[in-house]
Amino acid sequence: MLGLPEEFTPDFLARLEHLRIKTRREFEGLGRGTHLSPRRGSSLEFSDFRHYALGDDFRFIDWGLYGRTDKLYIKLFKEEEDLLTYIFLDASASMGLPEADRKFAMAVATALAFAYVALGQGDRVMVRVMAGDGKASTPGFLYGRHRIVELAQRLGAIRPAGQLDLATALARELVSVRRAGKVFVISDYLMMINSVTRGLGLFTAANMDVTAVQILGGSEMAGAGLAGDLELVDAESGERVMASIGNREREQYRQTLARLSREIRTFCLRRGLHYTLYTTDLNFHDFFLRASADFGLRH
Amino acid sequence: MGFLNPGALYYLLALIPALALAYLVRERPRRVLVSSVLAFRALRAPRGRRLGGWPRPDWMFFVEMLIIGLAVLAIARPYVTRKGHPIAVVLDDSAAMQAAAAPGRTRFDTARAALKDALGREGPGEVSLYLTAPQPHRAGPPFASAADAAAALAQLHPVDAPSDQAALGALLSELASDLRLRRVLYAGARPLAAPVPARIEAFAAGDPLPNYAIGSFVLRRESLGQAALHARLTIANFSPVAQTLHLAITGDGKPVGHAQAHLEPGQIGAIEFPNLAPAGVYRAELTPADGFALDNTAWATAGAVKSISILFVTPTPADAAGLDGLSGISVRVASPTSFSPTDLASADLAIFEYAVPKQMPSVNTLLVMPPPGDPIFGFNVQPASSVEITGWPPTGPLTDSVNFRLLNLRGGEYLGEHPWLQAIVTGSGGALILAGERSGHRIVALGFNPFPYLGRQNLPMSVLTLNSLSYLAGFGAETAGYHTGDSWIVPAGVDAIVAPDGKKSDVTSGMLFTGANFQGLYQFISTNGAKSLRAVNLANLRVSDLENTPSMKVEASGSGKLAEVAPRRAPIAADFILAIVALVILEALIAYRRRRPVVTV
Repeated sequence: MLGLPEEFTPDFLARLEHLRIKTRREFEGLGRGTHLSPRRGSSLEFSDFRHYALGDDFRFIDWGLYGRTDKLYIKLFKEEEDLLTYIFLDASASMGLPEADRKFAMAVATALAFAYVALGQGDRVMVRVMAGDGKASTPGFLYGRHRIVELAQRLGAIRPAGQLDLATALARELVSVRRAGKVFVISDYLMMINSVTRGLGLFTAANMDVTAVQILGGSEMAGAGLAGDLELVDAESGERVMASIGNREREQYRQTLARLSREIRTFCLRRGLHYTLYTTDLNFHDFFLRASADFGLRH
Repeated sequence: MGFLNPGALYYLLALIPALALAYLVRERPRRVLVSSVLAFRALRAPRGRRLGGWPRPDWMFFVEMLIIGLAVLAIARPYVTRKGHPIAVVLDDSAAMQAAAAPGRTRFDTARAALKDALGREGPGEVSLYLTAPQPHRAGPPFASAADAAAALAQLHPVDAPSDQAALGALLSELASDLRLRRVLYAGARPLAAPVPARIEAFAAGDPLPNYAIGSFVLRRESLGQAALHARLTIANFSPVAQTLHLAITGDGKPVGHAQAHLEPGQIGAIEFPNLAPAGVYRAELTPADGFALDNTAWATAGAVKSISILFVTPTPADAAGLDGLSGISVRVASPTSFSPTDLASADLAIFEYAVPKQMPSVNTLLVMPPPGDPIFGFNVQPASSVEITGWPPTGPLTDSVNFRLLNLRGGEYLGEHPWLQAIVTGSGGALILAGERSGHRIVALGFNPFPYLGRQNLPMSVLTLNSLSYLAGFGAETAGYHTGDSWIVPAGVDAIVAPDGKKSDVTSGMLFTGANFQGLYQFISTNGAKSLRAVNLANLRVSDLENTPSMKVEASGSGKLAEVAPRRAPIAADFILAIVALVILEALIAYRRRRPVVTV
């Protein structure tokens, strides 16, 4: 599609049209929308009763209750508002490796898919890019489906670079968050588990509904191409590790990587966060549509 | 095994510490940029870096060590010592060996089988293999064993050329006199006359065989201007009974002549075909068939009697008129000022009228009234207002059929004495026609001008002109053609020669070509892509006479006792080099299997 990554075929966009963001709690929005808000409003969803006060609309008096109690009560309903959706995208150097795995491209595609779903249902979307060599973070909320192309162009101009401390970066971003809402954090999470838990914990502490999406490369997961005596250099920290890699060591590496992912998943499940792992050797369309429930999306 | 250059082994001593050092140092770890080293931290450090760890064994290293070691040994020029008296095997591979010895079996097959049997009975020792045609020669270096020589025999085939009997006899005598040789095995068409030297074991290949043969096939144009060609073939009946032989000639695949002759036993006859239709290639076929098919066929090409291209260099182009009307002649006219020696490349002969070239011409040349004082020919010219012929030879290629008494000459010049041209026709004041050869080309100089050619209007002059041109074009002289086994000087401008079997040889002009060992048509390919053919035939009735093969006398000198043979050193450096090449290929294969792309993880 024009302006969108190649993954966004007409068929995929049509499938995204049917998805809605589901939150585990209600959030106040900035305008009218389709999500139930804790505010009282005019939806059909009953919220509470209160005593009648002068000037209240007679139509909302619960006459049945008046018959039983001989007192006038007004029925209160919930308000339906838009959802504030925050997407945090890791653009640190590790997201660019291995190049063949296209981790960052897939992360951008995932972020755009979330944004498209949110914008399509009339929600507001704020995309924040952590690290990277471009300034593609949207200064405020995006509103309206047409903004997706602009967003795609901004994200497409970013190249993964720099080092990222997730906890520090998310703490800094939390300052710019005006109201609670739905949060997507997209990263490879190849960092110390403490940094991950502290970073994600900040948002849960702020009453946000968080979905953590971990994106790893297919060959990265398999440790393909690594053999012999190697000097391994960390793309972000520059740390060097000497290793002699054979089949046994490669298997050990895979198990370590799988354990790191498992630890993040366990943390998310315990803290009530959504968690999904995507390896880039899988078909993006299949993955996204199949994992929509794990993302916190619903049909 | 020993070494001719053992000093080179010191390299090996110097090599050992270098190899050991290279092995211990090992290659530097490959640097790989990864997304995170988090999952690698728990992996072990390289084995070589761990204290007390053994270096990783690497097949590549051992292969390389072996290659270097073999290279040093090859530099040391290794050899093995071979003892024992060698054997010489002489196999006749001449044309006569193609004759049938039995149904489906040639004399060559019989001879080869006899030699293989004889070799199988011999003990260890080197075997030198000699072939006889076209000249006796050794076929490569000596073979290490009789089995190797027997295997090499299986790859040989007879050629279409005869062998030089005198040279073969000399070779056998030399081998029989060589006291180092344990035995000389000879198998050939020609039997050895008694007494045969004790060291020679001879196998006569084949019994006398009735045979009919074509001895020669000569084509010629009898005179300039005649389109039809004259063919003359000699045929022979080498059988014990009189036989009528049929001869059929095809020109470019079409029948152009047929004749027959009845020949008595041993008789040789000739058949003439005076008017053969023009064609490029002629093939003669003799019937009935016999056991030696090679001499029942002969080839000839019309290349030698093709249209003659004349370059006429003259200040008066009108003088060239009239020659064009002659059959088989094409004339190109050039002025002396525009003439360049390269113009002669496409000419068969040149005529210089009132002019001489500045360098010796590369074709046969007719000089008409050459100017005096040129540095190339140096004619001593005496101009005369009228010249008179006083002497001429009664016969000769230039003067045949010329009625000099009726030859009316106007003005001219006497050419005087010449250092290398002979006076053919003389006048009162000196020579009027000179002829001779220089640098392989015929030169004729005339002191009068026979041009323009007037045909029957001036018959004596016209006959003299045609005689001169025929002499220069090579007419009138019968040649026996080209025979298998003959060497040729490669003609000018020829870059490659394609043999009848399709094998192409790159050649240069002037070199000696020795590959004409097979009967048939050889194609000459010129620099400009032009192609011409040359016919090569066995054309040797002595070879074709399979009924009466004279025996060959071989004489051995010396006592006949075997001489003490010193152990011979046979170099085996070539084997080492072969092993090195094989190991390099093996290493390349290992490297290819181990290749992996540079990765970033």
